[in-house]
Amino acid sequence: MNRIKRFFDTQRPRFSSGGKLEKWYPFFEAMETVFFASDQVTGRQGPHIRDSLDLKRYLATVLLILMPLFFFGVYNAGYQALRAAGIPVDFWPVILAGARIVLPIVLVSYGVGFAWEILFAAVRQHPISEGLFLTAMLFPLTLPPTTPLWQVALGISFGIVLGKEIFGGTGRNFLNPALTGRAFLYFAYPAQMTGDTVWIALNGIKETAVDAITAATPLVVAAATHTAGTVEKSLTGAGYTVSTLFFGLYPDSIGASSTLLCLIGAILLMLMGIASYRIIFGDILGVLATGFFLNLLATPASPPYMTLNPFYHLIMGGTAFGFAFMSTDPVSAPDLHTARWIYGFAIGSLTVLIRVFNPAFPEGIMLAILFMNVLAPLLDHITLRFRLKKRVPNV
Amino acid sequence: MRRLMKTIHIKKGYLPRLAGVPADTLKPLPPPGRVAACPARIPFIKPRLRVKKGDHVQVGTLLYEDKQDSRFQFLSPGGGRVEDIRLGPRRRVEAIVIALSPDEKRVAFPELSKLQLETISRPDLVERLCTGGIWPLIRALPFRDIADPDTVPPAIFISMDNQEPFQVPADIYLKGNEDLFEFGLHVLKRLSDKIYIAGAKSGRAGQPDAGRWANLTYTGKYPAGDPGVLLYHLKNTPDENNSWFITGQDVLMVARLLKNGRYPTRRVIAVGGSAAGDACHVQTRLGAPIAHLMDPVPDATTTRYVAGGVFHGHTVTPDDFIGLYETALTVLPEGNEKEFLALFNPGWRKPTYSRIYLSALNPADLPANCNRHGDERACIACMHCADVCPVDILPQLAYKAILAGEVEEALAHGLLDCVECGICTCVCPSKIELTETLKTARAAYRKEQRCG
Ligand code: SF4
Ligand code: SF4
Repeated sequence: MNRIKRFFDTQRPRFSSGGKLEKWYPFFEAMETVFFASDQVTGRQGPHIRDSLDLKRYLATVLLILMPLFFFGVYNAGYQALRAAGIPVDFWPVILAGARIVLPIVLVSYGVGFAWEILFAAVRQHPISEGLFLTAMLFPLTLPPTTPLWQVALGISFGIVLGKEIFGGTGRNFLNPALTGRAFLYFAYPAQMTGDTVWIALNGIKETAVDAITAATPLVVAAATHTAGTVEKSLTGAGYTVSTLFFGLYPDSIGASSTLLCLIGAILLMLMGIASYRIIFGDILGVLATGFFLNLLATPASPPYMTLNPFYHLIMGGTAFGFAFMSTDPVSAPDLHTARWIYGFAIGSLTVLIRVFNPAFPEGIMLAILFMNVLAPLLDHITLRFRLKKRVPNV
Repeated sequence: MRRLMKTIHIKKGYLPRLAGVPADTLKPLPPPGRVAACPARIPFIKPRLRVKKGDHVQVGTLLYEDKQDSRFQFLSPGGGRVEDIRLGPRRRVEAIVIALSPDEKRVAFPELSKLQLETISRPDLVERLCTGGIWPLIRALPFRDIADPDTVPPAIFISMDNQEPFQVPADIYLKGNEDLFEFGLHVLKRLSDKIYIAGAKSGRAGQPDAGRWANLTYTGKYPAGDPGVLLYHLKNTPDENNSWFITGQDVLMVARLLKNGRYPTRRVIAVGGSAAGDACHVQTRLGAPIAHLMDPVPDATTTRYVAGGVFHGHTVTPDDFIGLYETALTVLPEGNEKEFLALFNPGWRKPTYSRIYLSALNPADLPANCNRHGDERACIACMHCADVCPVDILPQLAYKAILAGEVEEALAHGLLDCVECGICTCVCPSKIELTETLKTARAAYRKEQRCG
């Protein structure tokens, strides 16, 4: 501890005002506070005590909760790759293969994201906002394992710069930066990203002519079913049984396939009071209500997708991940509790509607969340008007 | 006599379980060598000094008055010589220090019998309270300034107790003073038709001894007992906004002045906090030196002394004095060191509103220090502040409105209902100075109102 302290103490003068690296003080500060909490004390007027919780810890906790998803993503990427290549899927080889696919993506995401963040912090002379560490993990988890690294770099840059920094940084952005980056790739490189097909990364595992093989995703299978009432059957036929979809061992984006892990994450986030349970329950209610409603409306002439059991929507595609980790981002969600219920419900509902009625976008959740991000201030505004009307005026 | 009892349930609020709760004992302290009046700690007044260094004063001699309303008079809490007049930054008068002489003299005020109390005119009564230096103990909502003697308030709230850590429970200051308290109540009843005597339902004031007066009980966490919070939950019309309030212990001061004809100087002070060596209640003089209240005095470099509670109090030094409005001394570790690997600490003993630390499962009282536990960041809309605000303000939105200069909007948000309780600032993970911003905006708005 003393050695670390001495190290920071000797480095401090270089970064403090007047020092050579003065401009990069935010970087120094960010590094030091990983090891040592700040010694700042409260002011002379009350309140004299402050909560032990700060933003760093808040975000670090979410990051910790994401770790199982990350490790599962590594395992799954390796598993799918070895299986597709016809190599036996033993634990260690799978992990090794998965790490070779996933780690570069995550590292690029962090490296590029951090570079932007330091740059903005140095130019604007504000502290490095910790939100980056979360964004840079969430973003790669939504990507297919085949994403080329330059696209990863481009996507995270877009997310950080245009999704966040131009609005003034964490706390002032109205879009979720990770999703913004993801959506950018989705629209800029539809061939690789639209989710019509899944991608199994094979890089370096076997000498093949192509470095990825493709198969239809559950969402596409569901959308392509021709007979009403048989969507579940065609999913099962394509290998997507309920338990596969729930546990997540199928080719999908890196971190979003396992409904089980997302569910555990969501429960932890709600128990710790980090995620708003109103949003998550709103999400789920929205999906189920809309799904049932479509079931009722379905006629032989309507798309067979409408007859799908609504619970499938919760376990297919990125729904669970989006609900647990993206829709609950408090900054891009509305503030007020009532507005959060509506926001969640609308996200769930839109997700199903986009999936069923707009075959051009098999994955509805991402657009649903971004769309509701944009509407969040309006929801807040309306709820607030009702809320303030109830007060006995005091002017 | 049975009174109609009303109970209010206050759902929001926050009370961290802090170590250092004062023991139930009441320890009489020997007389201090000096006492002082502290004008700088009376909000909103502009003091005009009426004594100078070296003057001889008696208990009850006029020391200073408010330049804006000279009926707001502040009398000497001791008899002796004015030893020092301490000036702070911008020549603010911090303290008028009086070295006590062994044979203290007292200014005689007219005595009032119970019978006379029924017949004295309201203006005469107000006049006696003003010249007796007791009027400033009656304060008015929403600004919490000294009540305007020319108005009749819609109601007066008497706060029997206060859940802010750590305050004197009603049964301790009331013990043996029940008749005085009854007298004080009669005085206040002459000032307003409606008197709320507010005590916590499950708290000690709910016990037969202290609670036999309460006609308004409440449940809930800090600051449920604050008069502003109670008013917010009771009021039906805007007329009630200007209610007055006084603390239970100050009702005794009112009674002592009028009944005994002397300026009262007795105070019961709660000494608490995890760094207080001996957390207990002490009986001492009004304006006693801070160091006099602690035995031993903890090391000043690592300790913070707060005159008043954890949320409302002012930082003081051991040479300072306890102010007119303060009945608590809270002693906390300063926490001015860099904690190693705090980011990774599971936090079994870290007090927090959130449920992110293991302390959420720890039922013990926890030691808190004055470290800010992090640096200021932008608001992340976690809603902690709104979830604790006892008067349903959305502090983060009111804060943003104030920063944007939208005072009207902040007022619509309930700026004037804010009771300055400090818990929104306390729970904010982004360490935003919400209370301070709201408080400053409130004071600025008051000033604007007064100056037309
Ligand atoms: S806004 Fe005012 S009343 Fe509400 S929690 Fe903050 S300080 Fe207390
Ligand atoms: S507690 Fe702080 S960060 Fe959370 S909503 Fe309130 S102001 Fe924002």
